[in-house]
Amino acid sequence: MADYAPVDLTAENLVSFELNGEKVQAPAGTMLVDACHALGVEVPIFCYEPRIGPPVGACRMCLVEVEGMRGLQTACSTPVQPDMVVRTTSELATQGQESVLELLLANHPLDCPVCDKGGECPLQDRTFRFGPGKSRFHESKRHFLKPVELSSRIALDRERCISCFRCVRFSQEVAQDGQLTMQERGGRSEIATFSGDAYEARFTGNIIDVCPVGALTSIPYRFVARPWDVTNTPSVCGLCPVGCNTELTLREGVVRRVSGRDEPNYAVEEGWLCDVGRWAYDSADHTGRLHRAVVRDANGARETNMADALSAATLVLQRADGPVGILLGPAATVEEAAIALDLAGGALRGAVVARLGIPAGPLAPLRATRRAEMGDIDDAQTVIVVGGDPSLQQPVVELRLRKAALRRGARIVTVGSRRTGLADVAEHVDAAPGALHAAISDIAARIAASAEPVVLWDEAELAAEPAAADALATAIAANGAARQIELGQDPNGAGLRALGIPATGLRDALAAGRLGALITVHADPRSAPGRDAWDAALGDVPVVSVATHVDATTDRATVVLPSLTLWEQEGTLVSMTGRAQRVRRGADGPDGAAPGWEILIALGHYLGAPPAYRTPGAAFAAAAKAHPGLGGLTYDDMGTLGAPLPPPAADHLAGDAGESVAAGSAGLALVAVRDVHAGRAAQGSEALLAFHAPAAARVSAATAERARLTDGATARISSPHGEATLPVRVAPGLPDDAVFVALGTPGAAPESLLGPDRGPVRVELRP
Amino acid sequence: MTADEIRAYLEPRRHEFADPRSLVMPALKYAQTTRGHLSREDLDAVAEATGFTPSFVESVASFYDRLYTQPVGNRVVSVCITLSCMLRGSDEVWDHLCEKEGIDHHHGGTSADGRITIQEAQCLGYCDKAPCIQVDADETLGPFTPDSAAALVDELRAAPDPEEYWR
Amino acid sequence: MPIMNNVYRQRAAEKPLVTLDDYRAAGGYTALPKALADVEPDDLQYVFMRSGLRGRGGAGFPMGKKASFLPKDSKKAKYVVCNADESEPGTFKDRDIMAFNPFQLLEGITLAGYAIGAERGYIYIRGEYEHQARVLDDAVRQARAAGLLGEGILKSTLNFDITVYRGAGAYICGEETALLESLEGKRGQPRLKPPFPAVAGLYQSPTLINNVETLAALPPIVENGADWYAALGPEKSPGSKVFSISGHVMRPGNYEIVLGETTLRELIFVHAGGLRPGRRVKAVWVGGSSVPVLGEGHLDTPLDYESIQAAGSALGSGGCIVMDDSGCIVRASLRLATFYRHESCGKCSPCREGTTWLEKLLMRMIAGEARMEDLEMMETLFGRISGKTLCPLAEGAVAPIKSALNMFRDDFVRVVENGSPRPEPMMAGA
Ligand SMILES: Cc1cc2nc3c(=O)[nH]c(=O)nc-3n(C[C@H](O)[C@H](O)[C@H](O)COP(=O)(O)O)c2cc1C
Ligand code: SF4
Ligand code: SF4
Ligand code: FES
Ligand code: FES
Repeated sequence: MADYAPVDLTAENLVSFELNGEKVQAPAGTMLVDACHALGVEVPIFCYEPRIGPPVGACRMCLVEVEGMRGLQTACSTPVQPDMVVRTTSELATQGQESVLELLLANHPLDCPVCDKGGECPLQDRTFRFGPGKSRFHESKRHFLKPVELSSRIALDRERCISCFRCVRFSQEVAQDGQLTMQERGGRSEIATFSGDAYEARFTGNIIDVCPVGALTSIPYRFVARPWDVTNTPSVCGLCPVGCNTELTLREGVVRRVSGRDEPNYAVEEGWLCDVGRWAYDSADHTGRLHRAVVRDANGARETNMADALSAATLVLQRADGPVGILLGPAATVEEAAIALDLAGGALRGAVVARLGIPAGPLAPLRATRRAEMGDIDDAQTVIVVGGDPSLQQPVVELRLRKAALRRGARIVTVGSRRTGLADVAEHVDAAPGALHAAISDIAARIAASAEPVVLWDEAELAAEPAAADALATAIAANGAARQIELGQDPNGAGLRALGIPATGLRDALAAGRLGALITVHADPRSAPGRDAWDAALGDVPVVSVATHVDATTDRATVVLPSLTLWEQEGTLVSMTGRAQRVRRGADGPDGAAPGWEILIALGHYLGAPPAYRTPGAAFAAAAKAHPGLGGLTYDDMGTLGAPLPPPAADHLAGDAGESVAAGSAGLALVAVRDVHAGRAAQGSEALLAFHAPAAARVSAATAERARLTDGATARISSPHGEATLPVRVAPGLPDDAVFVALGTPGAAPESLLGPDRGPVRVELRP
Repeated sequence: MTADEIRAYLEPRRHEFADPRSLVMPALKYAQTTRGHLSREDLDAVAEATGFTPSFVESVASFYDRLYTQPVGNRVVSVCITLSCMLRGSDEVWDHLCEKEGIDHHHGGTSADGRITIQEAQCLGYCDKAPCIQVDADETLGPFTPDSAAALVDELRAAPDPEEYWR
Repeated sequence: MPIMNNVYRQRAAEKPLVTLDDYRAAGGYTALPKALADVEPDDLQYVFMRSGLRGRGGAGFPMGKKASFLPKDSKKAKYVVCNADESEPGTFKDRDIMAFNPFQLLEGITLAGYAIGAERGYIYIRGEYEHQARVLDDAVRQARAAGLLGEGILKSTLNFDITVYRGAGAYICGEETALLESLEGKRGQPRLKPPFPAVAGLYQSPTLINNVETLAALPPIVENGADWYAALGPEKSPGSKVFSISGHVMRPGNYEIVLGETTLRELIFVHAGGLRPGRRVKAVWVGGSSVPVLGEGHLDTPLDYESIQAAGSALGSGGCIVMDDSGCIVRASLRLATFYRHESCGKCSPCREGTTWLEKLLMRMIAGEARMEDLEMMETLFGRISGKTLCPLAEGAVAPIKSALNMFRDDFVRVVENGSPRPEPMMAGA
């Protein structure tokens, strides 16, 4: 909960005023509550939440005295003016604050001992510090049926609600899902959904964070822990490349809760999380978690301990017939990657290191243009989203764009082949799938005509159209004030690229028989886009797999080294805007598993050439020295809010280019989306049951009809890269002659249809 | 009521408002005319016809006394109980009607046959006719005695229902 | 038939003027042509200002001055909103102006629209006044057909039209910013001020909001001149005002009087026919229910803003509720507490919670379940609510009850000791 807006006391437009008898200064126009907070004077509040929108003045908790104004004023809606005289602790102000608290408590159940919020509750806290002591009103309180389930994830206890409107305003004005409203009137007011339907949307969990009392609680967290027996750790979400700053609540070595931080990172997520980032933590333990190491030989697979498995891995690597490949997954940390590079320069000299992702070459000029951070969207008058659908792939971006549209009237333009999650606030420029190039002159004209536009572009779609990517880069560069944000695919794609790691090369080397073994680090090439090509390239090459969960690669690996997840281990991720941020150790994880970085260091030891460091911090420090892409950053520089890396040069990884396969024009365009709601974490989370859905091929009604398929029927889809069988879903808002699939859903394999280096694909659709 | 019917009703009014949200209330009042209350389907239809979410539409409906999100009787009898009417005997009228219709004195409610809802109303603006009664949104009548009020209810029960429920 | 003298009499004396012909025959629609032909909008605002007309909705703010607050250079559309929500207990004057003289209101709104440069006016009428709303709808239709509303009114360049907008049962929608929210299709909950409606009102555009009676007074003012109106009654409270009187009086109804010329006693005993034989005045809520109560000792107060204020109450809406000595002040207070609890919009906590508690406290007193400390508790509660809320509704809940406790403390003490049986009401025909 970010109760107060940040205030820059060093700004240029400071004005002087008097606060509780002292001369102070704050920027003109700052709300009094925020100015007071910045100056170390707390004015209690409940309804004010600067992130949600302008003040509403509902709770009346923030009453203060301002000389010359009659009665008491709400400090949350009174801007600082030169020479005003403010008293927040005078008798009158204190009487005002006590009054409001006493009245609020009059109807509050005061069941703090059994309330999940007890111990971290603003109402409890403010009663203690600003309340009148004991309330003298002893009438009967209002009663409701005990907690109702607002959804499968959120419980609502209406007796505790103080009607501050924060949650309904979040729903109406921030997420704009319009589902949560205040119903009835007066003392009967209660927050509710339409006819009691479940509150299901992409960002619902934030209402728990903004609720100043224990009225809204996370169902998986209910009664699990009390504030005094938990510890809170700041971390970063590793599920998509936005890199939302989170807080992990831990008890007995287990993550019990993920929430937005009290002190949000305004440059990134502004304190909001998507529901996947908030609740998918339980997927760490879902079926398929690797608890013990596995060694596979002619007699089959056997579970074993880490030391034994490391010895086995060492043997595999030492006996390899040729150099080793090291493949890093999309969320492998900077530390894990840096250690891999060090192994390739030491114990595994000559190893080929690559990342599982989209080749960087075609996007190099675009990435070199002026970069923005998410926070910069707040100042933009025009935002152009080229390709993609951030609502599904980089969810929290949606909230920033909605804020720009609703609160500042910014113009949002989406360009692409389908209705996005922003359709209700954006102007849409249609471009057929794989044909952004056709819209590029329109986009360029809009960029040229806008004052300080921010351009968001989809990594996968622009990588598939290098000419469009170049043209976009040119258009951005031409407007000296334009800035861009990459809507990336991979949680640490930017970090791996900063270390100079290409996406190409390794598979070709494997296919050519030049490599003797492969180490995968959080990488599952056998399920990744182009999986058929990977399978073919891998052949019988022995694989050592560092992984958290069972997957298609660990299923056939010679040695599986069980690793901790990003909720359990230290590391650094670089967000899509180039911000390096630290992931902190949260849960303990399975006894048989170890941090990925530690496993890699241990491999160095076993191979007889250990790296010169033992901790992730030291590994990062060494990497920062060795790789200019990390800008010489230290953990200290990153602090709790991270720090930006230097922007890449225009020729950085320019040679990282895949085979360009012409897609031709026959068949239907395939659009593959990395939808976090469809990914393994969400699909494996019990809390996110509401998002569970089988993988499907989504098409327009006309496309289905032409292929003689009906909704729900099974389709055989084939492309030059492979085949897949998926149920068909007829969906509105999709263009004809295109098939949409989500990547990463466990058990489905639309990845077969793609090339390993991505690029445009056309498919045949048959019953 | 269907969204199309509501749209047809709103169409000639649309140009009168710079923001279509202003149509929500007229739409709700109109949607209520067929059933006498707003069912889930009616609220959905209003949402569809006006372009706002069902939850928003319901939150508006639930704010106002004369929009009913729960079923009510064929005729709604509002007995004013505010000060001027109280001074002139509205409590006696109220008690008598509740007793006659077998309805809870504290909250009002609907008669067992579903025909008549008796509800408390706040000042109806007819204090000169106190104690006064309004049936649906017909012109408010008064003054009443307990007996004349009972006679009114009997008349309502005997009379055919209105074609449209304006409440 | 309401008894309306002076300003409203001219048109409403004989029969309801619900056809345009009748209204014209009674001298209607002479002010508008005159203004369109001879008076510039700014000068018209000046006429309003000089007339001294004060808002008749409750707060008594000078009408012309309010009109002058609208920004002159705004590019946004401007609006006139007529507040016809009339839900203040004891108040029913706007009802009769609309039912008996709808065209005078339309003409007044059109004059206001012309003066501020608006092209549309809204009449926000409480949902319970469906009958009056239909009268207005019909009047609007007639006026439109006659070229008195619509484009190029009376062949001038003035475009102006009026929409009748029905509320749906919520007293709070009489509060001007709640009204605007409701007119925008939302829950009627008051907005934070500033910005004031004059700057950011309906659809965030400059908006002039006035009560029915205020706007209906404009045609005679324009017709007869500001000086004529200003000369009626005392200097600071000029003009005439319709008082609605009800409760324990023999002839409840609407009476228009010139401010300052009539005392409360005359209103009750001359106009409203006095009380039942043998009864004495116990309590009078002179300006609707949201004002401090007055007692028998205040009966000689002249009815104008200043005098009533000096007596410790307020002229408010002019809804005068009279209770004789057969009534119980604690019961009356409870009934008002119930009203405000029911009507609190629930947006701000002191009002939502405070009105709930006030009602509960008074219920216990009536039932004889209270203790003497509860009287002090009630005083504390007034202090907890008063001055803390977002809009004046809660102040309106406190004012009549707090003053009653001050003035009739003995009655409260007796009720706390013994409870209060329901007194015999004054029944119809009595
Ligand atoms: C709770 C509350 C209810 C009100 N109800 C009404 C009303 O029914 N009619 C009205 O004209 N003014 C009402 N007012 C006053 C309006 O807010 C506003 O002051 C008035 O419409 C301005 O018009 P006037 O200046 O012509 O009086 C109410 C105010 C409050 C606080
Ligand atoms: S549930 Fe919480 S956030 Fe929502 S209105 Fe109630 S107290 Fe405020
Ligand atoms: S004082 Fe009462 S009516 Fe006014 S805003 Fe607050 S809760 Fe609503
Ligand atoms: S914090 Fe200022 S009114 Fe709620
Ligand atoms: S008190 Fe009943 S109509 Fe006014």
